[in-house]
Amino acid sequence: MIKIRSIMTKDVVTIKPDSGIMEAAKLMASRSVSSLVVVDKEKPVAILSENDFIKGVISKKANVRDVMSRKFIVISPSARFSEISKAMREKKIKRFPVVENGKLMGLVTETDIVQATRDFTRFHQIVQEVILAVFGLATAFFLFYFSPIGASVFG
Amino acid sequence: MAIKCPMARIEKIMLKDVPTLKKEAKLGEAARLMAQRESGCVVIVENEKPIGIITEFDFVRNAVSRGDTLKEPVSRVMKSPVTSMAPSMKLDEALKVIDTKRFRRYPVVENEKLVGLVTKKDIVNAISDNLRLHRNIQNIVLVLFVLFEFFVFVVYRYVQQYVPFGA
Repeated sequence: MIKIRSIMTKDVVTIKPDSGIMEAAKLMASRSVSSLVVVDKEKPVAILSENDFIKGVISKKANVRDVMSRKFIVISPSARFSEISKAMREKKIKRFPVVENGKLMGLVTETDIVQATRDFTRFHQIVQEVILAVFGLATAFFLFYFSPIGASVFG
Repeated sequence: MAIKCPMARIEKIMLKDVPTLKKEAKLGEAARLMAQRESGCVVIVENEKPIGIITEFDFVRNAVSRGDTLKEPVSRVMKSPVTSMAPSMKLDEALKVIDTKRFRRYPVVENEKLVGLVTKKDIVNAISDNLRLHRNIQNIVLVLFVLFEFFVFVVYRYVQQYVPFGA
């Protein structure tokens, strides 16, 4: 079971709702992140993504408050990976602030989820090959053990 | 260690309706397209052939470093050349490309024409789904195998009472 704690980005870049969107863009560019968590008194209130910024530029909005999106789900660090993987696919939510005891602990983005799925897939392939190998060997031994030749060897 | 998914190819999972622009188009048009559509990027084409790509992040970085550039041509910001994939490509081959190139979005090109767009997310999710199916089938086969072995064992013990071979 993969826990959120192990895949989340711990270094979350935050911004206040009354900051300017250019300030937000500068943060995104300098920290190389695709979204910022909008916090008000240490509580995440919204998400500002690259897409929201572009919308803001087109409609000539100045403040983060005018373009930020409130469509996000807060999760706990001990939640399971499969829970948000499902929410991401079905509800098309891409970002999940991680909150513990009312404090922002991290952020899980689509990139983190895709990377975790990728690693999980690789791990599963290996496990699967090992199971097959063990079964193959066990079967070979079994057949040998009960064959007339095997019987003469094992007595 | 390749998991064989003969059914799964890029053409099954790609986005067919890709937002495109000509290289003379203005950055503002690209921004509008990205805002309307959820693809997260615009592919720049010349005679239907992709020659560059602009992602949301490129736009943000450009806005920060050069200010208001909505009237500039997209060719100044686009990333070129682009790494593309073929629609007939298998998913595990695509995964190899992703692991080496580390881009998120790939135009799908057939006969030098843009036919779709595929993201890392789509490919990884499709492989994960395939693998799940594959795993279930494999588990069923294993269980049947064990039952069969047990059956052979019982038959062997039964037969041994009457026909003492091997001794």
